[in-house]
Amino acid sequence: MIIPIRCFTCGRLVADRWEEFNRRIRQGEDPATVLDSMGLKRYCCRRMLLSHVDIIDDILQFAERT
Amino acid sequence: MKVTVLEQTDNTLQMRVEEVRPGLINAIRRIMLAETPTMAIEEVVILENQSPLFDEIIAHRLGLVPLKTNYDQYVVSSDCTCEGVGCHLCQAGFTMEVEAPEDGFIATTGDLKPQDPEVVPVSDKIPIAKLAKGQRIVIEAYARLGIGQDHAKWQPVSTMAYKMIPHVKVDTNKCDGCKECVEVCFRQVFEMQKDKAVVVDEKNCTLCNLCVETCDVQAIAVSHDENNFIVTIESTGALPPMTIFEKGLDVFRKKYEELITLLPGRVPKVTPKKPRAKKKALPKKPKKKKEPKAPASKTKTKTASKSKTKKKK
Ligand code: SF4
Ligand code: SF4
Ligand SMILES: [Zn+2]
Ligand SMILES: [Zn+2]
Repeated sequence: MIIPIRCFTCGRLVADRWEEFNRRIRQGEDPATVLDSMGLKRYCCRRMLLSHVDIIDDILQFAERT
Repeated sequence: MKVTVLEQTDNTLQMRVEEVRPGLINAIRRIMLAETPTMAIEEVVILENQSPLFDEIIAHRLGLVPLKTNYDQYVVSSDCTCEGVGCHLCQAGFTMEVEAPEDGFIATTGDLKPQDPEVVPVSDKIPIAKLAKGQRIVIEAYARLGIGQDHAKWQPVSTMAYKMIPHVKVDTNKCDGCKECVEVCFRQVFEMQKDKAVVVDEKNCTLCNLCVETCDVQAIAVSHDENNFIVTIESTGALPPMTIFEKGLDVFRKKYEELITLLPGRVPKVTPKKPRAKKKALPKKPKKKKEPKAPASKTKTKTASKSKTKKKK
């Protein structure tokens, strides 16, 4: 739905990296390099971003308009 | 115990801790993880939530946001004069009122207005919810001191790990330069220099013994110190890693003193309470404004898993 605030395993803050991560991999950068440059060293934190599917945008299309 | 700092940044600390037993260093590790208090949002009052996320999800997300903690200002609310009700001595308030100006607007921790400028989220870029144009979120939140044992949101470290100091030796007389250890070691401990394997990064070794098993001529010996450790602390940002270490040792000492008083034949020693630093008066909580279209119900959502929740939706 929306990126979790912290890593499920170790508790490191990951949510504040999502926008940058998403933007950079969409520009064709290698996810491994992006994760390294953001200082996410452990594979528990890396999978938080790598495996996340952000579906909140799809849900928002059904928002009630006022 | 001998402590040498090897590497230090804002949020990480690597130290060499020598002459301690593994049991002691593990006790310190567990105390730092589970019993060193930090501030985290514990109570959320949802006045309005039009986002696609449930009230509980928003409360949970807010709870997990690491907050900068200042020990001199707050007391644990169960020890407070208000007896756990919540007052300016034991809790810090936040308010958030957003209305999305366009589709896909992200309400972040930057929209969370703190009452105490010293208790703030570690980053103002943490997304709380994504909104469609015109959707509103109006909430009040209260942070309290707590420990990781009760909920992981109060854990001050994301890593507190230690390892025994490794020693890797290559017998250059035996080494035939087959290069296999360089290839098999995933920690880049070896390098080839003049057709011989040389140890270049001993500290990085994880004691996996792969190189020893691979070397056909038994040229490599891997050993470790039993009582010397490399300790790595990574803070969530709530407190500097050195403060977490100091505070952890503090908690450990208090437990130890308490244990001694429980031994048979000992008279419990009454330690005089340290006078608490006087807290500067906080601006009074702004009176809640009555919304023109009054929200149907006011939902109070505790973020801790064990608390009762009243559902709105
Ligand atoms: S595996 Fe053994 S023999 Fe081969 S390079 Fe390494 S130390 Fe030398
Ligand atoms: S024990 Fe493992 S990590 Fe250490 S040097 Fe050998 S292969 Fe590398
Ligand atoms: Zn992690
Ligand atoms: Zn109080």
